[in-house]
Amino acid sequence: MLTRVKSAVANFMGGIMAGSSGSEHGGGGCGGSDLPLRFPYGRPEFLGLSQDEVECSADHIARPILILKETRRLPWATGYAEVINAGKSTHNEDQASCEVLTVKKKAGAITSTPNRNSTKRRSSLPNGEGLQLKENSESEGVSCHYWSLFDGHAGSGAAVVASRLLQHHITEQLQDIVDILRNSAVLPPTCLGEEPENTPANSRTLTRAASLRGGVGAPGSPSTPPTRFFTEKKIPHECLVIGALESAFKEMDLQIERERSSYNISGGCTALIVICLLGKLYVANAGDSRAIIIRNGEIVPMSSEFTPETERQRLQYLAFMQPHLLGNEFTHLEFPRRVQRKELGKKMLYRDFNMTGWAYKTIEDDDLKFPLIYGEGKKARVMATIGVTRGLGDHDLKVHDSNIYIKPFLSSAPEVRVYDLSKYEHGADDVLVLATDGLWDVLANEEVAEAITQFLPNCDPDDPHRYTLAAQDLVMRARGVLKDRGWRISNDRLGSGDDISVYVIPLIHGNKLS
Amino acid sequence: MTYAYLFKYIIIGDTGVGKSCLLLQFTDKRFQPVHDLTIGVEFGARMVNIDGKQIKLQIWDTAGQESFRSITRSYYRGAAGALLVYDITRRETFNHLTSWLEDARQHSSSNMVIMLIGNKSDLESRRDVKREEGEAFAREHGLIFMETSAKTACNVEEAFINTAKEIYRKIQQGLFDVHNEANGIKIGPQQCISTSVGSIASQRNSGDVESNSGCC
Ligand SMILES: Nc1nc2c(ncn2[C@@H]2O[C@H](COP(=O)(O)OP(=O)(O)O)[C@@H](O)[C@H]2O)c(=O)[nH]1
Ligand SMILES: [Mg+2]
Repeated sequence: MLTRVKSAVANFMGGIMAGSSGSEHGGGGCGGSDLPLRFPYGRPEFLGLSQDEVECSADHIARPILILKETRRLPWATGYAEVINAGKSTHNEDQASCEVLTVKKKAGAITSTPNRNSTKRRSSLPNGEGLQLKENSESEGVSCHYWSLFDGHAGSGAAVVASRLLQHHITEQLQDIVDILRNSAVLPPTCLGEEPENTPANSRTLTRAASLRGGVGAPGSPSTPPTRFFTEKKIPHECLVIGALESAFKEMDLQIERERSSYNISGGCTALIVICLLGKLYVANAGDSRAIIIRNGEIVPMSSEFTPETERQRLQYLAFMQPHLLGNEFTHLEFPRRVQRKELGKKMLYRDFNMTGWAYKTIEDDDLKFPLIYGEGKKARVMATIGVTRGLGDHDLKVHDSNIYIKPFLSSAPEVRVYDLSKYEHGADDVLVLATDGLWDVLANEEVAEAITQFLPNCDPDDPHRYTLAAQDLVMRARGVLKDRGWRISNDRLGSGDDISVYVIPLIHGNKLS
Repeated sequence: MTYAYLFKYIIIGDTGVGKSCLLLQFTDKRFQPVHDLTIGVEFGARMVNIDGKQIKLQIWDTAGQESFRSITRSYYRGAAGALLVYDITRRETFNHLTSWLEDARQHSSSNMVIMLIGNKSDLESRRDVKREEGEAFAREHGLIFMETSAKTACNVEEAFINTAKEIYRKIQQGLFDVHNEANGIKIGPQQCISTSVGSIASQRNSGDVESNSGCC
């Protein structure tokens, strides 16, 4: 993503087969920090690699595909495989972590008023909500499955830190609302500490009727509590989870910002995480990794990418509102190509933050500046520097040879999508695939789905490694084999020279949850 | 821990011949009768001493099954040595050597040193392939040959070290371009002692104390 920074690092380190664990100290060209690392560089903890194994894995010539060891299991028999880049950076800058979190109400945390509905009442709800309580008795807390994937740039620091710490921020955010979430029969209280209205979550019509009467007073039925406001938004439970994830991403980013005064936390990273909580999957994505569900051979996209192209209007608007962020060197307008001085006074096609189409404008001096967003597709950059517009870290990233910070244009906010596992009966070959852009750059969703639907039915359904083997197969298809003219995949297309990391998460385990 | 050279090895051969056991015996000096099936690639490392020089061996243990063949093939590149293993109690593993050798020759650098290993020599009573047959195959194809037992550790040390000696000899003869890391050889960090390389496994058995070179 940071081509310029990256090649400088690669040149400095000499690339290939480099494995000295100390290479992050002293900067390696990325900042020259004397501060200690927050965490040492390594591969995902769940791979359980020794220092020697990490060293072997960093072979940019043979590019070994690392998979979960036989003795190690991830929750839900999740499959995982990864491979290092073809030499663009010494380290594999992707990171991952996966664990089962237990969310317990913090002692002394804010409490919602205890729910008076009995368990019997809850489990009798027609949609089956509330049944999850069976497996999580109140005192033990709620279990939350967590998968994460980070794609680092300009150093591995931020990705390593995020892979170790983001889950704690998520747990912390969920702790505050865990009691509300498990009380699925009652909509989340708008204001904590007040008597709940005791409105069943599935009786919207009643609520709406009540709110229509609102203000007039004198409710028709004595069981309807008095309405205090004319309208009140009904916030479903899942929106609190989404909010918790969004807050967790922000807190993670703030922590990196704070701690970089005492630690060397190099670069930045994209973040794609999935949690499974109370029967629903929440996919939160900030960056250009991607998640898709492959169900019965069909593709259900679960994320969208955030790049200079997809976020052009947001970035242009910010620059329009706060032109000082451009340091007098860039224009927020987009033109189909660089404007030349001799074209001053002529009319040229352009677009501003408010446009998706194009119009003509008379070229002025300001339009000669370098465009805020420049380049197409994978080469599109913000201020000629970065190709991804959401993620964590990058607080010190500046435009080359300038004092212009990039961070104001980057957002740590994820887009969160929800998937209700209970809505479908999943088979053993229905999976959620998470992967960094190394995979998606060379394989289309359809090709990934085809590979999975070819591979999995040929594996023994009881083989605990089947999803890891499927992940290995995907990485192999995206990496390809080294030929005279570089890494090649099927149809002699160019393989991915990037770091590639892939999870294959079977959804059949979701059936048991509901 | 510093070293003069790093050599990369790859272990190949049919599944079940004892590749993973040989690696474990060499790096950890133990035999684990039930070893999990290798389904990807696994790594080991150990320091050895050749001619007074510390040499780090980085060993890649591969999956032998046919279904992983294309992945395994992609790992030959950048290997300086290969241990091609068959099981002396199973003739078919010996019969498959030609196909393994073809793969190795086609996908590796031409100078790769190949050591042919007839493993499970402790199972003399169940022997299915005569030692002479292994020797003849090796002679015919220009390989070094040894019979080993990953169980009793007989010849295991020698198999790995003799391969290293042969690579070292080729370096001294100028047959290897040590600056091209695609040959599976890397010159050790001379300028600067790396901070914490080397797990317990690689430090054990490393022979004499490492030389104190460099500036740091
Ligand atoms: N008796 C004996 N058994 C061995 C020896 N080496 C390996 N084995 C056994 O052969 C089987 C396969 O070994 P393994 O290392 O997994 O084979 P790989 O598939 O080539 O890696 C295991 O059950 C080992 O216990 C040996 O030298 N002697
Ligand atoms: Mg094995």
